Amino acid sequence: MRKLLFVIVAVWLAACSSIDCPVQNIVSVQYEIRDKAGAALSIKDTLSVVTTRLDGSNVLLDITTLLDGKNVILNKLIDKSAFSLPISYSHPEDVLFFCFTDTVKTVVDTVWIEKDDIPHFESVDCSASFFHELKGVRFTRNAIDSLVLLNKSVTYDQETVHFRLVPKSSD
Amino acid sequence: MFRGFAVSFDLVGTAMMQLSDHGEYEGALRVNIHDEWFPIAEIGYGKANHELDEVTGITYRTKAPYFRIGIDKNLLKDKHGPYRLYGGLRYGFTSYKVDLEHQNFPDPVWQWDTGFGVKDEPCSYHWLEAVLGVDAKIFGPLHLGWSVRYKRRIAHDDGVIGKTWYVPGFGIHGDTRLGGTFNVIIDI
Repeated sequence: MRKLLFVIVAVWLAACSSIDCPVQNIVSVQYEIRDKAGAALSIKDTLSVVTTRLDGSNVLLDITTLLDGKNVILNKLIDKSAFSLPISYSHPEDVLFFCFTDTVKTVVDTVWIEKDDIPHFESVDCSASFFHELKGVRFTRNAIDSLVLLNKSVTYDQETVHFRLVPKSSD
Repeated sequence: MFRGFAVSFDLVGTAMMQLSDHGEYEGALRVNIHDEWFPIAEIGYGKANHELDEVTGITYRTKAPYFRIGIDKNLLKDKHGPYRLYGGLRYGFTSYKVDLEHQNFPDPVWQWDTGFGVKDEPCSYHWLEAVLGVDAKIFGPLHLGWSVRYKRRIAHDDGVIGKTWYVPGFGIHGDTRLGGTFNVIIDI
């Protein structure tokens, strides 16, 4: 009986396996909002960020259509000093529309984020993901005073801030 | 002092090759020094061909030789009997190339079709093993034996893809650190 128990334990130990997929497996770009002095700034205008899907449709879309549609990736952020946005798996440049809405109007800035996409593999049991190296950023200056690239590497790390956004309304 | 050689072949790796999508063919040459110390060199060929995982859709292929070198000590009081209990250490090394493919899938936000794949990504692996084994004489020069091994990685290069899954000679990375062999041994 003891020998049988020993064999069973030995076989069970050898048969044990685990799937070690990371629990935190979201890859996103982290933004912080600051005033010109560098202090944290809670945004007072509602901020929404939209993009356009590559479905063959004309990219010059009416902004109200964009805000109501499925293209919204950040919806009506207010009184926050940080946010995160998704990043495309594999495209050399993401185009985002930052829509600042007050009680009167909506001001839109376009942001172009240039990047390299690096496939990331954990295991055949874990979903595919991509890490990214941010190469540069361009933006229009209707409501944005500055958008500074702080850290280039976008991975599972949700603590590292990648961009510092300084809105013009922070004067 | 010198009491001859023994060659052996592992059956566990061969069985895994037939029953699963990865496994090894492995042989070893062991030197007998006074029935107490047994320097050993193990050489094998490991292969994995995981086609289109049913959940993730990932295909993983690799094949490469691997090498281990080490020494065993007969732990029994009667060193010259027909049975031996080994305790030993191994250093293992392999250099291998990985093919990785993922069938196209849509970006969840932008809806672009995205796929990824790498071909012949060079990787390498160094590891240590602690071995506990048994060797029993059956008849003449024929022995049978098994071993249990605890493996620990000491250095690795996974290339640009992040991590590797199956490593020839080591097994599945991230899985249990235990392994085993069942050997057919012939004294020379």
